[in-house]
Amino acid sequence: MMNGGGGQKRRNSKIIPYEYRVESDPKFFDKSWRKLHDAIREIYNHNSMSLSFEELYRTAYNLVLNKFAPELYEKFTENMKAHLEEMRTCIEAAQGGLFLEEMQRKWNDYNKALKMIRDILMYMDRTYIPTNKKAPVFDHGIELWRDTIVRSPTIQGRLSDMLVELIHIERTGDVINRGLMRTTTKMLMDLGLSVYQDDFERPFLEVSASFYSGESQQLIECCACGEYLKQAERRLSEESERVSQYLDVKTNEKITAVVVKEMLANHMQRLILMENSGLVNMLVEDRYEDLTRMYALFNHVPDGLTAIRSVMTSHIKDTGKSLVTDPERLKDPVDFVQRLLNMKDKYDNIINVSFSNDKSFLNALNFSFEHVINLNNRSPEFISLFVDDKLRKVVKEANEEDLETVLDKVMTLFRYLQEKDLFEKYYKQHLAKRLLCGKAAPEDSERSMLVKLKTECGYQFTSKLEGMITDLNTSQDTTQGFYASTSSRLLADAPTISVQILTTGSWPTQTCNTCNLPPEIVSVSEKFRAYYLGTHNGRRLTWQTNMGNADIKATFGNGNKHELNVSTYQMCVLMLFNSSNVLTYREIEQSTAIPTADLKRCLLSLALVKGRQVLRKEPMSKDIADDDSFCVNDKFTSKLFKVKINPVVTQKETDPEKLETRQRVEEDRKPQIEAAIVRIMKSRRVLDHNSIMTEVTKQLQPRFMPNPVVIKKRIESLIEREFLERDKVDRKMYRYLA
Amino acid sequence: MYKLGRGNRDKVQQFMTITGASEKVALQALKASDWHLEGAFDFFYSQPQVSVVNTRHLEDIFNRYKEPDADMIMVEGISQFCNDLQVDPQDIVMLVISWHMKAATMCEFTRQEFIGGLQSIGVDSIEKFRGKLPSLRAELKDDNKFRDIYNFAFTWAREKGQKSLSLETAIGMWQLLFAERNWPLLDHWCQFLQVRHNKAISRDTWSQLLEFVKTTDPQLSNYDDEGAWPYLIDEFVEYLTENGLVQRKR
Repeated sequence: MMNGGGGQKRRNSKIIPYEYRVESDPKFFDKSWRKLHDAIREIYNHNSMSLSFEELYRTAYNLVLNKFAPELYEKFTENMKAHLEEMRTCIEAAQGGLFLEEMQRKWNDYNKALKMIRDILMYMDRTYIPTNKKAPVFDHGIELWRDTIVRSPTIQGRLSDMLVELIHIERTGDVINRGLMRTTTKMLMDLGLSVYQDDFERPFLEVSASFYSGESQQLIECCACGEYLKQAERRLSEESERVSQYLDVKTNEKITAVVVKEMLANHMQRLILMENSGLVNMLVEDRYEDLTRMYALFNHVPDGLTAIRSVMTSHIKDTGKSLVTDPERLKDPVDFVQRLLNMKDKYDNIINVSFSNDKSFLNALNFSFEHVINLNNRSPEFISLFVDDKLRKVVKEANEEDLETVLDKVMTLFRYLQEKDLFEKYYKQHLAKRLLCGKAAPEDSERSMLVKLKTECGYQFTSKLEGMITDLNTSQDTTQGFYASTSSRLLADAPTISVQILTTGSWPTQTCNTCNLPPEIVSVSEKFRAYYLGTHNGRRLTWQTNMGNADIKATFGNGNKHELNVSTYQMCVLMLFNSSNVLTYREIEQSTAIPTADLKRCLLSLALVKGRQVLRKEPMSKDIADDDSFCVNDKFTSKLFKVKINPVVTQKETDPEKLETRQRVEEDRKPQIEAAIVRIMKSRRVLDHNSIMTEVTKQLQPRFMPNPVVIKKRIESLIEREFLERDKVDRKMYRYLA
Repeated sequence: MYKLGRGNRDKVQQFMTITGASEKVALQALKASDWHLEGAFDFFYSQPQVSVVNTRHLEDIFNRYKEPDADMIMVEGISQFCNDLQVDPQDIVMLVISWHMKAATMCEFTRQEFIGGLQSIGVDSIEKFRGKLPSLRAELKDDNKFRDIYNFAFTWAREKGQKSLSLETAIGMWQLLFAERNWPLLDHWCQFLQVRHNKAISRDTWSQLLEFVKTTDPQLSNYDDEGAWPYLIDEFVEYLTENGLVQRKR
C-alpha cells in the first residue's frame, strides 16, 4: 500500500521541460527574471514560506538551459548589491552598542537568504559557474557582503575600532557581550582568513601593543618584580582565555608574543636587576613561587632563560666567593664546607622546584660551584676536614643513613675540586689521625667513603687509604697473637699495650722521632718487637712515639684518684714524676728526648690548660723557658674520674705546614706527569709537542690540572735522560727511545 | 796551459787564499763548478782527502807534543802545538781542529784522535798544518759544518762524567762561536743566564738555542710560544719583553 503511494508521488512531481524555444518568445528572460526577482524580495522580507522552491528552481534551470546564465548571474549580482546597500544604510544608522548587534542581525538574515538563493540557483552553480570560472553563488554573495558592508569606508574603521574598544573595556575590568564578540569575529573568519587578519587582528595587535606598553610602564614604576610578573602572568592568562572565548585560535600565539614583548622582553634586564625585588632577591629569599613564574614567563622571551641563568651564575659566584674568601669563615673548616653544602642544596632546590630541573641551569650551577670551590686553594683540606668531622661523630650521632646522605653530598663538592690529589694527601693525614687515635668511624663507614672516592677517581687513588684500614685490622690480630703466645707470667706486672703496625708508604710521611720511653714501656715493647720479628721474617720495626696515646692511673697528693688519657709524649713526661718531685724543663728534655716543639706543646697542655692542670709550673707564665720547673699539682681536682688531656694542637695546618704540604704535592706530581708522558710516548712512538701537552693534560685532569710549564720541563728531563729525543728533521716532533 | 782571464785569475787567487789549496787543486775545483766560487768551495770540501800521508811523520808529530808519562797530548803539549802553529789556544780554529780529531775532551788528544785528525785534515807536517789553517777556519762559514761543530762543542767542553755543560763554560763557548755569526741577542742571553738561571746547560737547550738563533728574528716577531722550545728559551723571551730589551711585535 505504501509503496504504491510513493510510486504515484514520483510520477506526479516529474518536471516537464518547456517545449518552445527562445526565439519564439522575446520576453522569456525578462518574465523569468521577474519571477525570480520577486521571489528573492520575498526571501529578504522573511516571506519565503509562501514560495514554491520547485517552481523557482525550474525557472532558473530553464534560463541556464536556454543560455541565459550570464545574464542571470549579472542580474543576481546587481540584486544582491542593491540589497546590501540597503542593509549597510541600516547598519550605519545604528548607534553605539547597537552597531554590532545590527550588523550581526543583518549578517544572520543575509546568510539565511543567501543559502536559499543558492539553492534556487543550484543548477547554475553546477554547470555554468565552474565552466566559466566564476565564483559560486554563495561565495560570491559572501564576497559582496565583505566588499559592500565590512569594507565600506563608513563601516570598516568603525567595526575595527568597536571591536578593539570592547576588548579594551574588558581588559580594564568591565563585562562585555562575549557572545556578540564571538559571532562578529566568526563572521570575519567566514569572510576569509585575510579579512579577519587585516580588518581585525592586525589593528587588535597594534592596539594591544600600545596598551601593554603603557601598562608595563606604569607597573614597572610602582610594582616589585614579583608583583609585576604576577600581573604579566595574569595578562597572558587573560589573553589566552579571550582567544578561547571569541578569537581565532591562531591569534593566541600572536597576542602572547605581543604581551611577552611589551611586558617582559622590553623590561627584562630591568626586572631581573630590580633593586630589592629582582632575581637576586628572589634567589636569596628562596621565593620559589616568584622564581617559578619568572622561569615560565621568560621562557617565552628570546634569551630570557639565558639572562636568568647568567644572573644566577654571577650571584652564585659572588656569594660563593665571599664565602670562600672570608677570613672569618676560614677559621672553621667544617662550617665552611657546611655552608657550601647548604648553598648547593639551596640552588638544587630552586632549580628543581622553580626551574623544571632545566639541564642548562644545572650545568650553570655546576660551573659556578667549580669556580667558587677552586677559588680557595684550601678547599681540598677543608673538605677532608669536614669528612673527618662527620666520620668522627658517626658513633655519637648513630645515624649511618644520614651519614651516607651527607657523604654523597660532599662527594659532589669533591667532584668540583681541580686538585683532587691534594685532597687525597689531606684525607690520608686525617684518616691516619682518626685511625691512630681511636676516633675512626665504624669500618663500614670508613670503607663506604673510600668506595665513593674509588668510584670517582679509580683504584689507585684509594689503594693506600684502604691499606691503612687493613693495617689496623692486622695490627689488632697481631696484638692478640702477642698476648696469646706470651706467658701471662712474664706480662703480669707490665702495662697493657696495643700496637698499630703501619706499612711504610701507605701512611703519611712522618719524620721518625724516637723519644725515651719509660722503662716499664720499653720492657713490654721490646717483648712485642721480639714476637713480631720472630713471626715476620725480614721485617723492620720502628717506633713512632710522636703518635699514640696512653691511659694512666694517677693518685694526687690530696688523695684524689683519676684516670688520665694522654698522648705518648705526655705519658713520658708524667711518668718521670713517679721518681722526682721537681724537674726543670731542661731535665725533662734530657730525660725524654722529646723534640723541643713537641715537648713545649706537651707541657703547655699539662700545666696551663684550665681544668687539665695536673702539673704546676714555676714561674706561672704563659711561655715555657729552659729554667722553668715543674711538679705534680697536688691540689688537682676534676668532676670526672676519667680526664682527657688533649695536646695543644691545631687541627688546621699552619701556614708553613700548608706550604710544605703543597710543595710535597707539587713534587709528587712530577713523577706522575713524567709517567704519563712515558706511557703516551711508549704507545705512540712518535708524537708532536702540542699533542703530548694535550694528551698529558687529558690523562691527569681527573686528579689535578697539570701545569704546562711542568710538563715541558719533564719532557726536557726525559730528553736529557735519553728516554726521548727530538726528531732530526722536525724539532717539534719527539721520538720514544726504547 | 791556456791563459786565464783576469776575472778567473782573481778567483783562483781567492780560492787559494781561503782554502789554502794549491793552484792545481784550485783550478780543478773552479773548472768543476763552472767558475762559480761558492760551487768550487762545495766541490773542494766534498772531495775525500786522498792525500798520501807519511804515517811515520804523523807519529813523530804526536811524539813531539805528548806527555812524557802518558800516551796523550795534554795542556802543555797543546800549548806547544798552538805555539808552533802560531795560533792562540783560544782561537776558534782550535775547536775546528778538535772537531776533525774527534777529541772526546777539551785539552786532551789521544794518539788515535791526534793522528786520525792529521790524516783527515790531510797534513803530515806542522808547516803544512799551518798552511791549512785558513781553510779550516773557513769551514765555520758552512751552515751544516757550523751546526756539527756547534753540537760537538757541547760534548767536548763538558766535564768528564757530567751530562750538562757548566754555565761558565757554556757562556764562554757561546761567545766564541757566535762571534762567527753575529747574533744580536748574545749579550742579553749571557746576562739572562747569569741573572735568572745560574745553573748548568742541558744538551737539548744547547742544541735548540742554535735553532732559535737561526729561525727567530731578533725582534721575536715570529717566536712561537707553543713551538716546543726548551723552557729556558721561553723564559729568555719573557725576560727580553718584560725588561723592554725587545719590543715584541706579532
